[in-house]
Amino acid sequence: MAELWATLIWPVLWTAIKIVIIVGPLMLAIAYLTFVERKVIAAMHLRKGPNVVGPFGLLQPMADGLKLLLKETVVPSRANRSVFVIAPMITFILALVAWAVIPFGEGLVLANINVGILYLFAISSLGVYGIVMAGWASNSKYAFLGGLRSAAQMVSYEVSMGFVIITVLLCVGSLNLSDIVLAQKGSWGLFNWYVFPLLPMAVIFFVSTLAETNRHPFDLPEAEAELVSGYNVEYSSMTFALFFLGEYGNMILMSAMTSVLFLGGWLPPFDVVPLNWIPGPIWFALKIAACLFVFLWVRATLPRYRYDQLMRLGWKVFLPISLVAVVVVSGFLVASGMAPGAR
Amino acid sequence: MPTAEFPNLFPALPEIFLLVAAMALLMFGVFRKDDEAGPARVRCSRIVARLCILALLCALILVVTMNGSDRVTTFNGMFVVDRFAVYFKVLILISSALSILIAQDYLEVHRVARFEFPVLVVLASVGMMLMVSANDLMALYLGLEMQSLSLYIIASFQRDDQRSVEAGLKYFVLSALASGMLLYGSSLIYGFTGTTSFDAMAGALAAAPGEAVSLGALIGIVFILAGLAFKISAVPFHMWTPDVYEGAPTPVTAFFAVAPKLAAIALLLRVMMEPFGALTVQWQQVIVFISVASMALGAYAAIGQSNIKRLMAYSSIGHVGYALIGLAVGNEAGVRGVLIYMAIYLFMNIGAFTCILSMRRRGQMVVGINDLAGVSKSNPMLALALAIFMFSLAGIPPLAGFFGKLYIFLAAVQAGYFTLAIIGVLTSVVGAFYYIRIVKVMYFDEAEEVLDRRMDRPTALVMAATGILIAIFFIIPDPLLSQAQAAAQSLFGG
Amino acid sequence: MIFQALAFYLFALVAVGSAVMVISSRNPVHAVLFLILTFFNAAALFILMGAEFLGMILVIVYVGAVAVMFLFVVMMLDINFAELRQGFLRYLPIGAVVGLVLLAELLVVLGGWTFAPDASASVQSPAPGLEQVTNTRALGLLIYTHYLFLFQGAGIILLIAMIGAIVLTLRRREGARRQDIAAQVARRPADSVEVRKVPSGRGV
Repeated sequence: MAELWATLIWPVLWTAIKIVIIVGPLMLAIAYLTFVERKVIAAMHLRKGPNVVGPFGLLQPMADGLKLLLKETVVPSRANRSVFVIAPMITFILALVAWAVIPFGEGLVLANINVGILYLFAISSLGVYGIVMAGWASNSKYAFLGGLRSAAQMVSYEVSMGFVIITVLLCVGSLNLSDIVLAQKGSWGLFNWYVFPLLPMAVIFFVSTLAETNRHPFDLPEAEAELVSGYNVEYSSMTFALFFLGEYGNMILMSAMTSVLFLGGWLPPFDVVPLNWIPGPIWFALKIAACLFVFLWVRATLPRYRYDQLMRLGWKVFLPISLVAVVVVSGFLVASGMAPGAR
Repeated sequence: MPTAEFPNLFPALPEIFLLVAAMALLMFGVFRKDDEAGPARVRCSRIVARLCILALLCALILVVTMNGSDRVTTFNGMFVVDRFAVYFKVLILISSALSILIAQDYLEVHRVARFEFPVLVVLASVGMMLMVSANDLMALYLGLEMQSLSLYIIASFQRDDQRSVEAGLKYFVLSALASGMLLYGSSLIYGFTGTTSFDAMAGALAAAPGEAVSLGALIGIVFILAGLAFKISAVPFHMWTPDVYEGAPTPVTAFFAVAPKLAAIALLLRVMMEPFGALTVQWQQVIVFISVASMALGAYAAIGQSNIKRLMAYSSIGHVGYALIGLAVGNEAGVRGVLIYMAIYLFMNIGAFTCILSMRRRGQMVVGINDLAGVSKSNPMLALALAIFMFSLAGIPPLAGFFGKLYIFLAAVQAGYFTLAIIGVLTSVVGAFYYIRIVKVMYFDEAEEVLDRRMDRPTALVMAATGILIAIFFIIPDPLLSQAQAAAQSLFGG
Repeated sequence: MIFQALAFYLFALVAVGSAVMVISSRNPVHAVLFLILTFFNAAALFILMGAEFLGMILVIVYVGAVAVMFLFVVMMLDINFAELRQGFLRYLPIGAVVGLVLLAELLVVLGGWTFAPDASASVQSPAPGLEQVTNTRALGLLIYTHYLFLFQGAGIILLIAMIGAIVLTLRRREGARRQDIAAQVARRPADSVEVRKVPSGRGV
């Protein structure tokens, strides 16, 4: 019995505990991201934002959540019931499972797998299914159009994202996320982060994450002006909440990915005394917050792209640039002898 | 850990050159401003077509000059260059260049002159050259797919014409099935020998002669044979041929009838002789059956045809049957016969198709055999050329087609395959009926409405050149014979 | 160990079950979704075998891109599967006979299977063991050196496929307005705005 405990039950239990430790704060972060979004945009619009529920409106997300939870789930007539219900679950679950491989600090990772970055990429590419299924199952024109737009958009931007990731991998020589962060450690401090040597790639990556999460200025799948709310127009109550949580979870995830790839993950900007007293997870959270702020900033500032412009940007601008960048970076690494593994 | 040694690229230089040229021309075509079916696009396609022919000729020179007489392998033994490969590569390059040359006018008349066509033909030729040089099952498959994929596209190149699209689709679906069979066979062979390399396979199969070879490996060989038989459109895998030949644009049909067959026959010869050479007894009966069936079907099914493109399809099935006699014989003389046969077949077919391309009435293509009535009076040169090609296809001496058949039948007789030779002769007599019927229609039937006299210059030139080659082959047969001899020797390790 | 066995049976069962559903479900979209589930479980099986790179690539390429396009098309086409199935029962006996014959052949082949005497020696094992390198690196070392020829050849094939897609489907529409970014950026206020003094009461 003791053996069974040690070999089977305890590891499973321990993993479950770790999952709770990751997911709990994550859910809280998602909830408050919605709040922060409203506050930040309000500030940029010279408004006040939510300020009624609780001090500074801090309880607003709780109130919203409670409201959604208590409403009735409406399934449209002739909708494809099972797919309709599964779709938001997929979106939400995918937004959570990706966190399994994110390193919060040195050794602080649930699953330190060899192909961590591929895992992240795979999970983010699956995100499209929730939206497409929702769009199809709703039995509504607007939802369907939103789903189709989303599918085309996410597949298009994934390609250039993949190439950007390849340029980073070329510099690191490993697909392990912890290795990617550690490769950005060096005597130059924050100038060792890949955002500086690979600045154009970082920009492309960030813009692609905007498209991948269907955020402004690429939120055509929702496009309230034309499609009323796109793929989630028929959703209500908890099913809608799951989409909502999934979308914001994906935003945080993409910010985490950007931090790991380009902003040195949990590393402090300089490895000097007051800065390296602060634990790694805090630095990581700060970097994620900075990326998220840009997400919100962009939403408050930029108008929506037209669909053909979106496609043009993805296929005719980002794809060639990132393709050339792969060639240039690998050429430079080989020529200068800086390629990892060139022993 | 394998060392990263850079492979020797020189043996593959012609292929690499062609690929680079094709990509450069693609870029050229894309970046030139063009308009839908406008004059700028036609001009662009003309330039690209000429440059493609030039590239093919340069590759031809490279093929001829780069090779020693030795057998060279590179890319870890996946790519082989020997006299045999050079022989077929030369033929393939010639047929591709001629196809592009005679296609231009047709494409312009039918408003589908786009620069992609010659580029695709070049890419298909690269695929064929890779097939000819394949020394590994995986390399074989890659070359085959590269070729087929280009062919699917050019088969449906007239994309607004339903028949053309149908031809492309039909070819695609059936060809994919054949590729599947080929892969299934390959995996069985790999399971038996543990290798995909031809050299190692030959060793493994030679070490396990006769009865020690498992049933699975034999079934694998049969599957590979079936896959390749599809590509050369041999019976019983010929069903696609008439429809595809009829539906595809005529210059594409001309290309289909020649270059892919050359490559597939070359591949078949190499695969059967080199890795499976030790199992000749086992595969020979299959080849004999395929050969006899193809000859018979080619002879009898063509009789009822009224469309000349369909007739050429059945004729090509029959000719593959004759060529396979040489393979069934399985010795050096037989292979030499096949090599000579295929070279002559190339020129006869291209020539015949130049005549078909010239069959127009009031600017429209016609393909009925009866449309040829009275051509001898309205267009005597066309009639003469077509008569030469038809007599040659029928195997009437002293035209080249006769000698092609002669060497094959001689090889069969010398090796004691009298039945095969006799069936071959009988079916060519039957076949002669429908070839000569065309000549009869041209010279003795009265026309209600004659064909146009107009003929574009490249097509006329190709027609004249091939016609003269076919007609005077018997005077100077030596260069071809000696080259074929050397190529056949190199296949047998001589 | 028991954990891995359990995981294997779970993934294998779901894979087979969803594969059956692919061909038996009435709704084409459901069929595609089950196909995706099958891919997913196959990827999981790869990972269970220690081929994590292949597993991930399977998810990224097949599930993340190919199947999305497939789903896209199936959703847009209004396929009536009931109609497609009409001949199903009629052809079932023939199909079953063909299937049985193939099965019997396969059994005969596998039952009498022998290996060539030096097959085990000729099996190429250029891949270093997994204990030395990760399998991503092992694959990279093979594909870009030993199989360079095949890798490049596959690339050319994909290029041809791309040309084909463009040649056969791309049409320039008459009157379609295309965005010209350079023209937009080069536009200056002076080109497009005219300032006029409008006398009051008279208009322009």
